[in-house]
Amino acid sequence: MSESDAWICVASVTGVAEELMGVLLARFGSAAEVLQAARDGRLRRWSAGRWTMEGRPALPTTLLDGLADVAADPDTKLAPIRALGLWTLTPLDPDYPARLRDLDPPPNLLNGWGDPAALAGERAVALVGTRRPTPAGRTLAARLARRLAEWRAVVVSGLAVGIDGAAHAATVEVGGRTVGVIGAGHRTPGPRAHAGLRRAIVEGGGALVSEHHPDTHATRGTYPRRNRIIAALAQSVLVVEAPARSGALITARHALGLGRQVLVAPGRVGDWSVAGSLALLRETPARPLVGLDELIADLGYLDAGPAAADIPGPASRAAALASLGPAQRVVAERICRSPAGLDVIVQDTDLPPAAVSGAVTLLLMRGWAQAVGPAYLPAGPLLG
Amino acid sequence: MLATAITAVINGLRGELVRVEVDVAPGLPACHIVGLPDAALLEARERVRGAIRHSGFDYPASRITVNLAPADLRKRGAAYDLAIAIGILVASGQIRGSGGSWALLGELSLAGTLEPVAGVLPMVATLARAGYRRVGVPAHNLAEAGVVNGVEAVGLAGLDDAARLVAGPRGRTARAATRRPAHQLSAPQARAESREAASDDRPPALTGAGEPVDLAEVRGQRHARWALEVALVGGHNLLLVGPPGAGKTLLARAIPGLLPPLDDEEALEVTVIESVAGILGPRGLRRERPFRAPHHTSSYAALVGGGPALLPGEATLAHRGVLFLDELAEFDRSTLDALRQPLEEGVLTIARARGHIRYPARFQLVAAMNPCRCGHLDDPARRCRCLRSDAERYVQRISGPLLDRVDMHVKMARVEPHELVDGPVPEASASVGERILAARAFGLRRNPGRPNAQLGGAALLEACRLSAPTRAVLVELAEADQLSARGVHRVLRVARSIADLELREEVLEQDVLAAGTLRQAPRQPKALAA
Repeated sequence: MSESDAWICVASVTGVAEELMGVLLARFGSAAEVLQAARDGRLRRWSAGRWTMEGRPALPTTLLDGLADVAADPDTKLAPIRALGLWTLTPLDPDYPARLRDLDPPPNLLNGWGDPAALAGERAVALVGTRRPTPAGRTLAARLARRLAEWRAVVVSGLAVGIDGAAHAATVEVGGRTVGVIGAGHRTPGPRAHAGLRRAIVEGGGALVSEHHPDTHATRGTYPRRNRIIAALAQSVLVVEAPARSGALITARHALGLGRQVLVAPGRVGDWSVAGSLALLRETPARPLVGLDELIADLGYLDAGPAAADIPGPASRAAALASLGPAQRVVAERICRSPAGLDVIVQDTDLPPAAVSGAVTLLLMRGWAQAVGPAYLPAGPLLG
Repeated sequence: MLATAITAVINGLRGELVRVEVDVAPGLPACHIVGLPDAALLEARERVRGAIRHSGFDYPASRITVNLAPADLRKRGAAYDLAIAIGILVASGQIRGSGGSWALLGELSLAGTLEPVAGVLPMVATLARAGYRRVGVPAHNLAEAGVVNGVEAVGLAGLDDAARLVAGPRGRTARAATRRPAHQLSAPQARAESREAASDDRPPALTGAGEPVDLAEVRGQRHARWALEVALVGGHNLLLVGPPGAGKTLLARAIPGLLPPLDDEEALEVTVIESVAGILGPRGLRRERPFRAPHHTSSYAALVGGGPALLPGEATLAHRGVLFLDELAEFDRSTLDALRQPLEEGVLTIARARGHIRYPARFQLVAAMNPCRCGHLDDPARRCRCLRSDAERYVQRISGPLLDRVDMHVKMARVEPHELVDGPVPEASASVGERILAARAFGLRRNPGRPNAQLGGAALLEACRLSAPTRAVLVELAEADQLSARGVHRVLRVARSIADLELREEVLEQDVLAAGTLRQAPRQPKALAA
């Protein structure tokens, strides 16, 4: 068995975290040796004598049993990975994403589905936020993702419902690449409602990655821990709508710890939906996100040249608006300004309700608007 | 001596003829009632004895046998009291005259006054059909008895009035009754009148609708107001979804002031139902369209009908009118599912061991609900405190087949405070109601007797007169939304009403598109959109 397979086997055992992996490698020399030691009993003897010899507690029995099982039959861990068609990267691989090595220690494993090149993209920006966004937050996430994709940046996020989902979906929609970091194993890849989205991410040249063995279930700690991977995979982290105690705040703090740029979309003082965002702005070096053009400037993309030509540029919005009838254009312009319900649109545009209703239906039909609860949001080219 | 009196019983919404035979014979003083009476009817013995004594007659100290024929028909209620009492008076020779020439309906009090009874209208109709065209009814019920053509109905205040009626001008033999001063005789009349007055300002406890609202009080919500107008033009079932305080209930309470009046045939149906349910009051033919708003704690029987007496429920009381269910998701699920039959067929069948009854129930359903339990799902101003899964379950409590019967789904958002305070005073009910009436008449000229909501298949396509571009838009909409055939019909029906509102014969592209936002939101959001 190759050292890389042995590494995968050892690292896949539940309970073998980065620190323990380091201890085992230091003691036995290589992952293959660790497995050999598990087979011939040296591992158990070392563990039992560890307290007297090193003053450290013995390893838990379940962990020792797990190592013995995988040493006896490596396929118990390797077969599920193969069965799902996943690729695996370890820190031994030269292809291991360079930015992940900024983490100390870097994750032992990265099981992935899709294109591994998405992890090595020149530009990568994480976009994170609450699972329960307001319509405005959702729109902002979609607009940011769309603009980032136009500038050829890989959008990294956590596959959750809400801001994460909006960011992934908007990126896929304009043909951009996006990376989703799963908080558990690949067999339990997150919300069922996102099954179609996950497939679309992979088909769009993106990737889904997890630091866990595919059979691992989510536990209390796995979701906060995956946030460090989101932070590390990106050069910058954008926070859209983080209420107090949001997971997005953890991602932001990890990113700051790694020296990454953190940009936070501010909101109205007193809104519950941005309480955490505002706290970030007040307490950390994170900077406010004030506009799409400013974002591109802050990310330093302007120096490197214009956006890729194969992705529709910001001009598409004007073209889309121009193709509409007068009443429809007024309604489209209104929802581009901010998400609104039918009543508010009627009131602001002073058009008859029937005309507004018809215009909204047309926008929905073309995929230029999206309904969230009572509100309508711009979508597709109108996001520009 | 034997006497016969004629009365009637209610069975479902129909009356059945009942003959009351009274035999007063020598023997130990006793009174027997035979012929499948229920408890209320057995107690008639006590009421009749009291009433006879306090009206100045003698209660015969003999063996009294009362037979209610046909004997196999189950009788309930107290509407036979008067017929039994008159039968006893005739049989005991206290009044002369033929008890059989007048049909009599009414419940007696111990004092001899007549209390109103339920179902007078259908009972009188049955009597008239059987050839009994002279009917004595409680004064309170006179107006509804007068609705039946060719019937000579007399309103009676008490037993003595009835005795005078039956005996005729020269037939009276009672000693005491003649001695009663006139003011005493009129006392029951006065009491009946005072009750009439009281019943008019009785709070509408049964409907729970509260005070009617004028549309001028409904600020903002211009889209929902328009949607309501469209719904009332076509008789479409309507669901309002929005956070608490969005004005859903307020809007629904404006409906009574917007409904067009009933036509003759409908008015008769509604009046019969209200008569049987005992909520008609002292009125005759009812012209206002019913608006019923049962509370969400209402039991199955209250909504659907039933109970020991198999009385009509709210769904039937809303026949030809509007059934408003506020907080739809809080209703008992089995109760809501029972509404599927009337929504599809316009009738309700109540089947029990003792038999089944079919009640008409062709109502327009207007329902309101919160988007989730706390009411703030997708509300930018307030945080939703429900778990995501709970929020989904809340909506799923209402079964798909029921929602499928609802043509129009309207999402409402909270009205901004400045709009509430500074906004212009919106159009009042009176002018909106006129527009609805005109549009409805316009539609009914095309398909008489069938509002747009009841159009289906071929009739619908014919009524819409779609041009080629309009068809293309409809197809595009159906494809974008993956609409079923039923979904397409729903959109078309609503589009038809939108065109009617503008008094236009053809349904145009703009109508189909305008109907687009009123359709049911796709149940499962597309994964990409989440």
